[in-house]
Amino acid sequence: MLKSIKPKGWVVAAYLAVPVALYVFTVFAPLLAALFYSFFEWKGGPVKTFSGFANYAQLFGDEVFWTSFWHNIFLVVVCIIGQIGLAFIVVLLVNSKVTKLQGIHRTFGFFPSTISAVCIGFIWQMIYDSKRGLLNWFLEQIGRPDKQKVWLNEPGLVMLLVSIPLIWQFIGYYMVILLSAVSSISTEVLESAEIDGATGIQRARYIVLPLIKNTLLVCITLCVAGNMKAFDNIYVMTAGGPGYSSMVMAMYGYKVSFEQSNLGYGSCISVGIFVLALAVIGGSQVLMNYFMTDKYDREEAKHLKQIEKERQRAIKACKAKA
Amino acid sequence: MKKKAVSILLATAMVVTLAGCGGSDAPAADAEAPAAEEAPAAAETPAAEEAPAADAEAPAAEGGDLAYSGEISIMHFSTSEESEGNGGSDGFRTCLANWQDAHGNITLAEEVLANDDYKTQIATRAAADDLPDVFLLQGMNTISWSDQGLVYDLTDTIKNSPYADQYTMDYLVPFTAGGKYYAYPALTGGTCTVVIYDEAMWKEAGFDAFPTTWADVEKAAEYFSGQGIDTIAFGNSGQWQLNSCFVSCLGYQYTGTQWFSDIIAGTGNFEDPNFVAALTETQRLFHDTNIFNKDFNAVSNEDAREYYISGDAAAFIGGNWDASYIQATLEGDPKKDTTKFAVLPQAADATKYEKFQNIGLGYGMAISAKAAQDPDKLAACIDLCQYLTGPAFSEYVGANYALAGFCSSDVDLSAFDQYTQDFYNFSYVDNKGCEIYDSYVDGSVWSVLNTEMQEMVNGDKDPATVAADTQAAYKTYLGQ
Repeated sequence: MLKSIKPKGWVVAAYLAVPVALYVFTVFAPLLAALFYSFFEWKGGPVKTFSGFANYAQLFGDEVFWTSFWHNIFLVVVCIIGQIGLAFIVVLLVNSKVTKLQGIHRTFGFFPSTISAVCIGFIWQMIYDSKRGLLNWFLEQIGRPDKQKVWLNEPGLVMLLVSIPLIWQFIGYYMVILLSAVSSISTEVLESAEIDGATGIQRARYIVLPLIKNTLLVCITLCVAGNMKAFDNIYVMTAGGPGYSSMVMAMYGYKVSFEQSNLGYGSCISVGIFVLALAVIGGSQVLMNYFMTDKYDREEAKHLKQIEKERQRAIKACKAKA
Repeated sequence: MKKKAVSILLATAMVVTLAGCGGSDAPAADAEAPAAEEAPAAAETPAAEEAPAADAEAPAAEGGDLAYSGEISIMHFSTSEESEGNGGSDGFRTCLANWQDAHGNITLAEEVLANDDYKTQIATRAAADDLPDVFLLQGMNTISWSDQGLVYDLTDTIKNSPYADQYTMDYLVPFTAGGKYYAYPALTGGTCTVVIYDEAMWKEAGFDAFPTTWADVEKAAEYFSGQGIDTIAFGNSGQWQLNSCFVSCLGYQYTGTQWFSDIIAGTGNFEDPNFVAALTETQRLFHDTNIFNKDFNAVSNEDAREYYISGDAAAFIGGNWDASYIQATLEGDPKKDTTKFAVLPQAADATKYEKFQNIGLGYGMAISAKAAQDPDKLAACIDLCQYLTGPAFSEYVGANYALAGFCSSDVDLSAFDQYTQDFYNFSYVDNKGCEIYDSYVDGSVWSVLNTEMQEMVNGDKDPATVAADTQAAYKTYLGQ
């Protein structure tokens, strides 16, 4: 029966051919094209001069690029804490027995992630507006007009300020993902822990978190990938300013490519973003695996490794004797 | 068997659909194909030659004897929204429609974008060597795009144009590279730096007119601060405004005209002490005084002009587009009658002060080198460019908006309200014109200057460093 409905290999291949071709065309082809152009001095137009690794040498010494990279890392850290961390707390609250109208919470929580990033940028720009903005109005209402600022012109604060809309926008998105993972945890497990006297925080820390570890890894990967290419709402709010204070890598690549018409170097920046994003995603997964693995499991794994080493050594010794 | 057949059919349909989407009727353009070499002599006999001076109210174009029949692609940024109240855009769209009406055998394939989108889109098209047949070339791109062979050399057609004797040849400077002209200066010549102020408010502050020195503006700022309003509104969130609408004019007070001529020629130096002094004064005015609105770096020029319109600021610094907008917005408001214009006040240590205002035509109508490969099409494109920048356009914008284009035309000012008359005199009569910096050189240089000046006016970067970084970008641009 199973065999009769299983399609032939070539049928599967035929079905897959189109999406794979599309994927290669939209993802790999531009990436390879960027890699190719990154070896040229290309100011736009048909004339391209091969320049070897000159663009990469420039990239390594480009202070603005590395400043932008650290801004992206800042975004990643703040958003992992803000988006996923808060989403996790919201999930626990929404999933709690005492919460009423859970469906409404889920719907409205998800709502901001359906709004375009440009609109989000404009909304928050209005909130931060120094003359008519909600934030300065609030400070005046609570009698602290001395704390009013031109928020988006504060180099020391601007990265945090542009992160807040990103957090606000995506909490709901991660909430939905985490909610589905938490819902799949057997209620018996949680009830047993409750009977054993585990507090809410203990249940979250020792039961829920380990059981949704894989989903969390996916969320973190999505969060890192999303923030390594952050562009639109920051562009709307500050255009990377004041100066380079909120410049991120994608925006710098855009600026170099289109404002400065330096497409060769712009391609090199794109390749740099790709490599760095991969490294950061990989690094974050290693870190996550480390922290999400129980201390006991880690020690056991270490112990097993040690045993395996000794076994190999013994085999070698036997072979040498023979 | 049936399933197999359906599977094959579906897969084939998808592949065919994909291929259909990817297909293009565009001819395989040969990147190596010579551009200007095959340019025909047809350019010498544009059809518009016989075209009469168009009626000021409705400039008409004559069909002429163009041999070309088919499509001409044109890209511009005179959107219908933009043309409401903006004389240049309105004139452009009107003339374009007239030309299309007069040439029924030619179809104009228009691609109209907002200005910011246009800049990105045209740069992308240039990078892909896929420029439309006719487009608006920004002055700062002239050298690099002509070096790349992207634009057709229009030197002979401009010199031999039937309207050549009416052209204001100075406007061609931004579109000149290696002694050759690459575009017909288009739209209207408007100032990029004008102080728009409310005469009544300044009278209350004790000034009959806008002060002629910054020292007096600082005195006025004490009064206006006491009233809880800003003295001058300015918006620089886009980063280009401080360059185009302020430093590009104030700089001349320190450097005179020679320094920027040297910069254009590739022999200037941004670390020139006079230019650094202009930057220093800019930093002082924005950072150390309370003349400007505190959020100047966080709001756009559109936001800042609203401060003026709403009475939250006693003056505003912007360009001709802002003057048009304010005029349209204040229609019927008594504030319109008290709105006047002034040049930037004199800086105390500026030694080359004159009543400078930077004016020019930042965009020109250019023809892509590829379009020039077909002699008949080239003749049609030239005819279109000449008509859109010729007397028909100038007379239309002169009669309807008191503005001037590439062609000189007499404007009967008596037909206009006081606001328009004042702005006409400010732009074309009373003051000394100087160049708009970013109509020249290259975007790579201005991008560095604009970005770093934003930090400079916050007090986070010193003017000498900004000048040094800009000079480094300038040297890179020059290939030194």
